Amino acid sequence: MKRLNANKKAGDIPLLICVFLTACFGCLMIYSASSYTAQVEYGDSLYFVKKQIIGLVLGTAAMIGACFLPYKKLFALRYPAIIVAVILLVLVFVPGVGVTNYGATRWIGFGGITVQPSEIAKYAFVIFTAAFFCKNYRNLKTFRGILPVLCVGLTLCALIIAEPNMSITMCVGLLMLGMIFLSGTSVKTFILILIPFALAVPVLIILEPYRLQRLSAFIDPWASPKDEGYQLIQSLYALGNGGFFGTGLFNSVQKYRFLPFAESDFILAIMGEELGFLGLTLFFGMCGFIIWRGIRVAKNCNDRFGFMLAAGFTLVYGIQVIINALVVSGAIPPTGLPLPLVSSGNTSLIITMASMGVLFNISRSD
Amino acid sequence: MSVCLTITFLFCLILARLLYVQTIWGGALRLKAADQWNREIPVIAERGLITDRNGEVLAGNKTTYSVFVRPNAVENAEYAATVLSATLGIDAGKTLEKISGKKISEVTIARQAEKEKIEKLAEYNLAGVYFARDNTRTYGYGDALCQVLGFTSSDGGGVSGIEKYYNSILSGVDGEIIYSTDIVGIQTENSAVVYEEAEKGDGIRLTIDLDIQLAAENAMKSVYLSSKAKAVSCVVLDPQNFDVLAMVNYPSYDLNDIPRNDSEKLNLLSRNTAVCDIYEPGSTFKVITAAANIEEYLKGNSKAFSNSYVFNGSRTRTVDGTKIKCWSDHANGKHANQTLSVALNNSCNPCFTDIALALGSQTFYKYLQGFGFGNVTGLDFGGEALGMLVPQTAVRDCDLARIGFGQTVAVSEIQLACAVAAAVNGGNYYVPRLLKGVVAPDGSVTENPAVLKTKAISSEASAILSEMLEGVVKEGSGKHAYIEGYRVGGKTGTAQKYEDGRVAQGKYVSSFVGFFPANSPRYLALVIVDEPEGVYYGSTVAAPVAKEIFEDIIKIKNIPPCS
Repeated sequence: MKRLNANKKAGDIPLLICVFLTACFGCLMIYSASSYTAQVEYGDSLYFVKKQIIGLVLGTAAMIGACFLPYKKLFALRYPAIIVAVILLVLVFVPGVGVTNYGATRWIGFGGITVQPSEIAKYAFVIFTAAFFCKNYRNLKTFRGILPVLCVGLTLCALIIAEPNMSITMCVGLLMLGMIFLSGTSVKTFILILIPFALAVPVLIILEPYRLQRLSAFIDPWASPKDEGYQLIQSLYALGNGGFFGTGLFNSVQKYRFLPFAESDFILAIMGEELGFLGLTLFFGMCGFIIWRGIRVAKNCNDRFGFMLAAGFTLVYGIQVIINALVVSGAIPPTGLPLPLVSSGNTSLIITMASMGVLFNISRSD
Repeated sequence: MSVCLTITFLFCLILARLLYVQTIWGGALRLKAADQWNREIPVIAERGLITDRNGEVLAGNKTTYSVFVRPNAVENAEYAATVLSATLGIDAGKTLEKISGKKISEVTIARQAEKEKIEKLAEYNLAGVYFARDNTRTYGYGDALCQVLGFTSSDGGGVSGIEKYYNSILSGVDGEIIYSTDIVGIQTENSAVVYEEAEKGDGIRLTIDLDIQLAAENAMKSVYLSSKAKAVSCVVLDPQNFDVLAMVNYPSYDLNDIPRNDSEKLNLLSRNTAVCDIYEPGSTFKVITAAANIEEYLKGNSKAFSNSYVFNGSRTRTVDGTKIKCWSDHANGKHANQTLSVALNNSCNPCFTDIALALGSQTFYKYLQGFGFGNVTGLDFGGEALGMLVPQTAVRDCDLARIGFGQTVAVSEIQLACAVAAAVNGGNYYVPRLLKGVVAPDGSVTENPAVLKTKAISSEASAILSEMLEGVVKEGSGKHAYIEGYRVGGKTGTAQKYEDGRVAQGKYVSSFVGFFPANSPRYLALVIVDEPEGVYYGSTVAAPVAKEIFEDIIKIKNIPPCS
């Protein structure tokens, strides 16, 4: 604690710039992907962009704020954060507060604002775990030492899966594994945890019949082109139409209401259509840069809490980008997961930008 | 380090997958997706023209329009329905119902709407309403040749006659207007409109000669009225190649005002009876019996009669215990001392019974088959009748005796016309045809060549027969068809009709088959008057009609009399 405020470094400015540019690029892509649908459904072609720009402003403010907030203060928030997260996740199930969309209750509404608690839960879990491992680093080699992290993680997973939201559950699960792996636990303990996780996946799939349908649709989407296979087919059409060089910005055809969730979970497909494989490669280059800078921040941090926090936030971002890309390209079965910083959705945007601010703050210290 | 490697690996995996989807698989995906991106409106091809042998248009086209509505793209359905019904003259309520169904992506509101209506409709510029070229068939000569030409359905396909038989040649290839639309069919703001032009159908040039057709129509119409017949019909052939020059069936109907709502009436009036129906020919069939005898005699068959042979003058013959009578009473020296030539002049039944029996079924059937009886002629027209001929294995002498003078046998008009044409043209039986050639849109013509089917008799036999038939018109029963200065040959026929296997009292088919010039026939006409009232002999009812037609042909073709 004594090094707090000491040895201030310049911080990772390129990371911030990159995050901000990606978020701005997101607004542009949301406009392109949603203007037609927004005009038809809401009578305002800027409907989604306007919301996203508010998110961008708030997110930028949150990011800048986080830049100046000493990250070590988050240590004290480890219990409040996780408690708030759990309360919010429970609130989803309270009638009148929880908001149901597309057959799943994943949002809570205050007045006109809706918040997706599971987005918050991921970050709360990172803060809690980083703090826990920092405090109990001596006991990490044993299973018992990491048991509390497992308990908290599984509680969150249980609450999120009940919404249901398989994709964020998967994210939290992977995040938990990543955090445990990075904590420096023994290989034996890690494998001990890994096995039940691997077994849980098929069990979860069998429990909910709609997942099985999605899985079969993933194997052959054209077997049910109007039902389960529809989303994936439309995503592939968009990517296929883009080809190597793309159709050019604003020239998507799939945005004419063919591709559902074009401005949110499947915005990557519209990007692939308009900007082509070339554009996507550049975009992933940008994502890769953010992840690389995040890992670098973590590595360069001498503080155990800072290390775990930076690694955790980077993991949250990285896992989502990768799963989203795999879903959109039809490499894994479709699940609803936003592309961080780009997909429409303010909760995700603000909190992701804020987490990047924290990364910057970590990079400045020491 | 391991984290970095894992992430790099995953990104490589994603990029590899995207590269595959976007480039290797991309083309196939685009092709599949094109189905959902585009909506097509058909542009109906201009139908090929049907003309007579000289290029006179018998079936032409008028450009009209079809109107389509995409219900999802309509902004105000009630307003649109009002405008559509007012401009197109259709029912407003039904239109509203049609364009309110959001589940159907496209409905056809009108076909073959006139240009003026569409121009009015276009002024409203209604969203979701589309129109494209359609085709309306027009027939320049109303009811002339109507059963042969046939007509098209409301969607433009041929449903009867030549329109049906040569539909694939006439119809051409429809084009398309392709619009890119959103998922429910609303045209997108930067919609690329692709116009694929329709390909005009090829034209059909018929063997019909319009002038002869119209002359025949007039002659047939007047005999229909004067004889108060049930129906009349006529075939005019060119005996040199079996081109059908005219084909008339009356009563008929106006091709520009088809009685589509009365299907029974339409079926009756649109039937090409000259090709599709059969009748008992009676005495006109004696031409074939005579031809068989002459040919056999020339070949040296001792059973055949020589041209100077005098037939037994009795009025009756008894065959298989049944008595066959001549139509004439043979009293007061009538039908006495008859050679074949005189027998033809008198149309004396017993003489032809003698020939049929003398030749025997095997020989006689060889000629019946050679002249195409019991089989289709192969005319390029749908639904040709086979005729009725007792199979050779089942034929009894009493049947054979009657077939000799045209009873116990049924033929189609085209069958008999072709048989007589082959008997008098030198013995050549061609496949009759209505198609003279196919005319490509660039004007080039692919001719449909005449096909010689068989040699029915020798040219010597044919020449002798022609001369005898010329005699029939000069001094025999066919004299009402005689034209001074022109060598007309022919044979009359008067057949009793049968109903439920019994002779129908007072019902006759009066017919005449004539041709000229007898030495090298260019025109052959078979005239049928079905159930005339009053006078019913072919010689008095049908022969004058053939004469009228021949006289008109002489005028039209400006044929000089022979010296």
